[in-house]
Amino acid sequence: MGAFAEIMFGGLFQGSLYAMMAVGLALVWTTIGVFNFAHGVFMMLGAYVAWQFVSLGLPIAVALPVAVVVMAGVGWILQASVVRPLIGRPNIVLVVVITTLAAGSLIENGVLTLWGPRSKQLPSLLEGNTVIGGVGVSLHQIAIIIITPLILAALWAFLNHTRLGLALRAVAQNEDASQLVGLNVTALYGLAFAIAASLAGLAGIFMGGYRFMTPVMGSDPLLKALIVVVFGGISSISGPIFAAYLIGFFEAACSYYFGLYWTPALLFAVLILMLMVRPEGIFANQSRGLA
Amino acid sequence: MALLEVEDVSKAFGSLKAVDGVSFKVEAGEIFGVAGPNGSGKSTLFNVITGIPFGPDRGRVKLGGVEIQGKSGNEIARLGLARTFQRETSFDGLTVFENALMGAGYGKPGRAESEVRERAAEALEFVGLTSVGFGRLAGELSVFDRKCLMLATAIAMEPRVLLLDEPASSLTKPEIETSIGLIRRTAERGITIVLIEHVLTFLMSLSQHLMVLNQGRVLAAGEPKTVIADERVVEAYLGTRRPAA
Repeated sequence: MGAFAEIMFGGLFQGSLYAMMAVGLALVWTTIGVFNFAHGVFMMLGAYVAWQFVSLGLPIAVALPVAVVVMAGVGWILQASVVRPLIGRPNIVLVVVITTLAAGSLIENGVLTLWGPRSKQLPSLLEGNTVIGGVGVSLHQIAIIIITPLILAALWAFLNHTRLGLALRAVAQNEDASQLVGLNVTALYGLAFAIAASLAGLAGIFMGGYRFMTPVMGSDPLLKALIVVVFGGISSISGPIFAAYLIGFFEAACSYYFGLYWTPALLFAVLILMLMVRPEGIFANQSRGLA
Repeated sequence: MALLEVEDVSKAFGSLKAVDGVSFKVEAGEIFGVAGPNGSGKSTLFNVITGIPFGPDRGRVKLGGVEIQGKSGNEIARLGLARTFQRETSFDGLTVFENALMGAGYGKPGRAESEVRERAAEALEFVGLTSVGFGRLAGELSVFDRKCLMLATAIAMEPRVLLLDEPASSLTKPEIETSIGLIRRTAERGITIVLIEHVLTFLMSLSQHLMVLNQGRVLAAGEPKTVIADERVVEAYLGTRRPAA
C-alpha cells in the first residue's frame, strides 16, 4: 500500500507540474508553429514575481493571480518582440529557437541581477502535512494535484466552448483561412503566448512553494516539458496532458524501484523506443488541432 | 462606381510574372467570371486581391471605392471581401457549425452571440448542409459538402464581394448542377460574385461578364459569348488551328 500510494502521489504531483508546462508549450506550437525556448524562464519569472509581491506584504492568495496576470503581459511582450517580427520568414522554427533562447538568457540574467543568486522560497498554498495510505504528503502538494486538473479543464472549456477559444483552434488549423474570415491572427498569436506564459508562471509558483527558487530553476522543467510534448504529440494539447501524467507516474515508479539517478536514463530509453515506433507522439494525430 | 476595381495589378515570383498588369471592374450584384488554362494566374489573382498570403507587387485594388491593397487580410475580410478555395475546407478539425460560426462571428464584428449562431445556422441551411449534421467534423465531409461548407462560412460573413475559386472542380455532373443553382441563389442575396473556373460551360451559365487570363495577362474580356468566340481564347484553350491541307 505504501509503495502504491507513494507512486500515486509522486506521479500525480510531478504530472501536474509537467502538464502545466507542456500545455503552454503545445499551445504555442499548435497556434504559431514555433517552439518557445524561453518557456522555462517564464516558469522561473512567475515564481520570482510572486515572491516579490509576497515580500511586499501580499498574501500568496493575492500574489498568485497578480503574478499570473503579469506573466500574461510578459508572454505577450516576448511574442511581439522576438517572434512576431519573424513570422513568414524562412526557417522560422530554427530562428525562433535562437531568439527565444536569447530572450530567456537575458531574462534569466536580469533576474540574477535584480534578485541575486541566493535561493528563495514562496509560502505554501496550504500549510501543513497529512498522511494518506501510509505516505506523508504536504497539503501544498495535494492542493496542486487538485487545482491543476481544474485549470486544465478550464483551458479545455475555453478552447472548446468560447468564441475566442474557437478562434485560437481555427488559427492553429489554417492561418490563411483564419484571416479570410476576419480573425486577427497577430492578436491570437499574442494570446497564445500570454496563456502559455501564465500557465508556466503558475507552475513556477506551485514549484516555488515546496522547492527553493533559483534563476535557473526553469531549465529542467523546460527539458521535461519538451519530453512530454514529444512523447504525447505536439499536434494537440490533450496529448501532452495525458503524457505528462504518464511520465509523472513512470518517474515516480522508477525513482521508487530503481532510484533517482536511473530515472532520467530510463525515461530517455522509453522516449527513444516510443519515437522509433510512433514518431508523431503516442497520443497524436497527424495535424495540428488544439483539441 | 464599380464595387470591386482592380487596376494594373501585377505579381511576380522571381522572373515569373504570375499576374501581369491585370485590370477589371465588377459591378454590384453581378457574377463576374474569370477563366483561363491551368497556370494562367487565376488563383494568384485572388491571392493578391485578398492579400492572403501575399498582396500585389504593383497596382491598386478598390472595394467600394476604398483602396484595400496593403491592408491586412482580416481587415480586408471585415470590409466585406470573402473567398473560398478550390479544395480544402477552411478548418478541418472544427465541426460544421463551428466553421460557419467563424464566418458569422468574426467576418462581421459587433454581432450579438445569439445573432452569430442564427446567422451560422441560416447559412448552413441555405447551402443545404442541415442533413450532414452540424456536429460533424468538417474534415469528414465529402468534397461537395466541403465546398458547400466553405460557401456557408463565407455567406455567414455577409460579404459584399465573394471570390469563388473553382467551385466546380472535382464535382460530379449532378453536383455541378446543384452548385450552379446555389451560386445563382447566393447572388440573389445581393452578394457580388467573382468566379474562377476553367470549365467554360460552367462560367457561361452563370457569368454576366467574363475575363480570360493567359500567362498572367488579360487575353479577352467582355460579354461571355463574345469572349469565347475570340480567336485568342480558342487558341489558349485548344491550341493553334492547323492550316487546312
